[in-house]
Amino acid sequence: MKEHMPLISNTKCECGHQNPVGTVLCEACGKPLDEKEWNSSENLEMRYDGVARRSQRVGPGVIDRVWNFFSSVKIAIYLIVLTLLGAMLGTIFPQESTFLNIDASTYYQETYGTAGNIYYRLGLSHTYESWWFVTLLVMIGASLVICSLDRVLPLYKALTRQKIRKHRQFLTRQKLTLVTQVEEEPEVWVARIVQPLRKKGYRVRTEGGALLAEKHRFSRWGPYVIHIGLIIFLLAVLARGLPGLNMDQHLAFPQGETVKIPDTSLYLKNEKFTVEFYTEEEMPEEFRGIKVLPKLYETRAVLYECTADCTDPSKEPQLTEVARHDIQVNSPLSYQGLKAYQFDYDLTPVLRSVQPGLTNSSTGEIYGKFELDMKNPQRSFQAGPYTLELKEKYMDFGLSDEGQPVSKSPYPNAPAFLFLIKGPELPAGGQQYFYFPKQIDKEQFQQSAINDKLGGSGRFLELEVGSMSDVDFSESTTYLNVRVDRAMPFVWVGAGIIMLGLILGFYWQHRRIWLTVDGGELVLGGHTNKNWFGFRREIVSILQKIDMTVDEKSLDNGGGLA
Amino acid sequence: MSLLDFSSDVFIAAFFLYSGAFMLFTIAIMGRRWSGRKPEEHTARWGRIAFIASSLGLLCHLAYFITRWMGSGHIPVSNMYEFMTFLSMMVMVAFTVIFAIYRKIILGVFAVPISIIVMAYAAVFPQEVQPLIPSLKSIYLNIHVTLAALGESFFAVGFAAGLMYLLRTVDFSSKERSDRKQQRLVEFTLFSIIVIIGFLGSVFAFRGAGYESVFVRTNVTIDSPGQGDSTIEKVSYKMPPIVAPYHSEIESFQSFLGIKEPLFEAPSWMNGVNAGRKFNTVIWSLLSGLILYGILRLAVRKPLGKAIHPVLDGIDENDLDEITYRAIAIGFPIFTLGALIFAMIWAQVAWGRFWGWDPKEVWALVTWLFYSAYLHLRLARGWQGRKSAWLAVLGFLIVMFTLVGVNLVIAGLHSYAGTD
Repeated sequence: MKEHMPLISNTKCECGHQNPVGTVLCEACGKPLDEKEWNSSENLEMRYDGVARRSQRVGPGVIDRVWNFFSSVKIAIYLIVLTLLGAMLGTIFPQESTFLNIDASTYYQETYGTAGNIYYRLGLSHTYESWWFVTLLVMIGASLVICSLDRVLPLYKALTRQKIRKHRQFLTRQKLTLVTQVEEEPEVWVARIVQPLRKKGYRVRTEGGALLAEKHRFSRWGPYVIHIGLIIFLLAVLARGLPGLNMDQHLAFPQGETVKIPDTSLYLKNEKFTVEFYTEEEMPEEFRGIKVLPKLYETRAVLYECTADCTDPSKEPQLTEVARHDIQVNSPLSYQGLKAYQFDYDLTPVLRSVQPGLTNSSTGEIYGKFELDMKNPQRSFQAGPYTLELKEKYMDFGLSDEGQPVSKSPYPNAPAFLFLIKGPELPAGGQQYFYFPKQIDKEQFQQSAINDKLGGSGRFLELEVGSMSDVDFSESTTYLNVRVDRAMPFVWVGAGIIMLGLILGFYWQHRRIWLTVDGGELVLGGHTNKNWFGFRREIVSILQKIDMTVDEKSLDNGGGLA
Repeated sequence: MSLLDFSSDVFIAAFFLYSGAFMLFTIAIMGRRWSGRKPEEHTARWGRIAFIASSLGLLCHLAYFITRWMGSGHIPVSNMYEFMTFLSMMVMVAFTVIFAIYRKIILGVFAVPISIIVMAYAAVFPQEVQPLIPSLKSIYLNIHVTLAALGESFFAVGFAAGLMYLLRTVDFSSKERSDRKQQRLVEFTLFSIIVIIGFLGSVFAFRGAGYESVFVRTNVTIDSPGQGDSTIEKVSYKMPPIVAPYHSEIESFQSFLGIKEPLFEAPSWMNGVNAGRKFNTVIWSLLSGLILYGILRLAVRKPLGKAIHPVLDGIDENDLDEITYRAIAIGFPIFTLGALIFAMIWAQVAWGRFWGWDPKEVWALVTWLFYSAYLHLRLARGWQGRKSAWLAVLGFLIVMFTLVGVNLVIAGLHSYAGTD
């Protein structure tokens, strides 16, 4: 970047110091550089100690113009206010993202009428993902970086190179100032006040009859620390959008089953899901019999890692336990950045397996029992002299428009099995037999009528479950939200830095006192970035220590710059 | 006497002590022109008594908090009643801190009533101890809610000081256009506060009289062709229905001042039965607010702002400006930590995402952005004083909307807080 040489050389102060263009107060003695300022008695503009910032160069190029735009606090405030207004708009109606399954193009019209339709058409139903909102956030990010850089470097320079003796105008035009008579010799008077200042925590430097006392300078870096924290935070949030850093799935885990977590080599077993409600005694009287309040949702979960045979479908994967946790709403399972949160549950029992027996309906003879697993049934079974071959499996039985049997979903809501039975007294090609393990499905889909059609009138074989002990249910299903979010540590680091900066900047104040004693006259000026009230009080008490009584209010030069 | 009974007794004691403190603060300021007194001495003496009363109130309030915690087994910030009682306690804590720094007796006249109003608002909600639902069982309930409330309480004190600044500096006798505008805005702000008092007054008056009317509405939804589903919704009005829910029928109606039926029906876009009830509450609040305002105007025979203005005579306006700024500057980091950072940590632990653009989260962010803008504007010349005081007033309005309005109007994930 090209350095611009100052074209006009009125930046040289009468004290001999050459200041860069844009300087308001001489870097050395603090005298205002603008001649028009000399006769004024208004408070000085003390922001950034009146030093020149990069954005104040003359004859800016394109990059300088962009820099200047983002370095303006005014622009930053506009960006904050626009973001604030945009964020408000997004809360008028629920955002699309709060629904799992809607057609947004009709939902808003139907639910909220014309206003809803306009809301949707303006794109406000996804405000926070919209290009303009994201652009605003990115612009705030740019403003944070550039505003900080533009100010922190000159300010750092100014504060590390402070001169002790300041111009009289600099002192009398501070918001806090005092001009009074002293009788002692300058050096003697100055030496007397050093100790009380040090006691209050000031670092004091003197130069003959001049003095500079300063404390808590670090508080000046507070805002910049906040901005660094915000930048880290914003970058971390942006990084969450990168592939591979983020995983978010909602999975169902029936009790007692081990389910693979997609895209990982991990399996999670729900050993037991518990839901508890408060008893009548635990509830306030007013609620008894009216309200039901949940007390606990808990999934006893075990996490396994697959160590071998992970991809071979013909073999059982070999699993090693890696973590175990009782997952509750505020207590997720955590393993190497993967977290499983309690999300939802379903108490509808899910059929896992049955042990039907093959019986002869005319004689009542039972040929044999076998175990039929709903999810992974064997291909063939033996019951006495009969062989049952599994031809088709339907997890959620239904009929297609053409009247063909189909499975409506992969969930075992209405499982159905089509067997081909071979054996004595059956046709050579075998006999087809439809089996619905659930009683309700048997009746609804008319199992016997179907089988009568398939096997004809001479049919004598039936599959029947003898007792409830032959039925295996999973009592409930827990739904877990399984997440990986590799950017989270950076989000927290950013938040931590923001807090640190806030505490530095808001709970301490940078206080400086300059004074000169010259020809029997004491001129004192004081500056702080916040809390003038406390500062005035402190100066009064310090002066009190050397037997000088000053009224707090008389120190105030007016102007109200806080 | 059980712990919980003791708890509600000391709570009432705190309420009366605050009310007493408010009156004493007012005497300390208003009585300085009474004959035969030295103004400074009078203010200092009565101010000290008032501060002792408010501190005793705060001690009772703390006793309420601790005993309710012990009695219920969990920190009492889990529903709207408990939160509002806690917020009012934090307002007193913030007031005490700022008072200890600045020793301005007049602050008590404006800050203590905020706490009293919030306390009264708490009493609108059901007061029973409820067991915690699973999502609230977390250490972050203790941290997030308390810190957020404390930060917001400093904003409340900033609001009080900002309003004082305006009442002190607006020229109430001027006929200039810009001054007239300021006068009207101050008057509107005061009127809004009176409407809130009107709301509280009408709630407690009708509750005391045991008023109730019930409406039913049958909703028919058509799931699939030929399959209709009808649900019956019932809503009980605790204030005489001026407006009935949209498309509803009267089940029972207690007549009030000879009115035997609602005057009109809520418009169709207010589709929930509760929307009608809430609308009715708004109308009653405005009505009673207007009546109360009318009575006050008749009593003082001038705009309220003009009537209060002399009370603030002799108070340094720069001090008020600084108190406003300082209260907000103290509150801002606490608010950030409590309402945003711990909110994100808790959301991450409970829901698996630290930020989800839920309305409550968005409004907490809006509050934060607003006060960030305020703090940046303080750097600019010309934004101290008047404009800054208006921002402090407006900011607290946003805070209250985040706390109350979002639950009333928008709901979302924070709906367990429950509202009336």
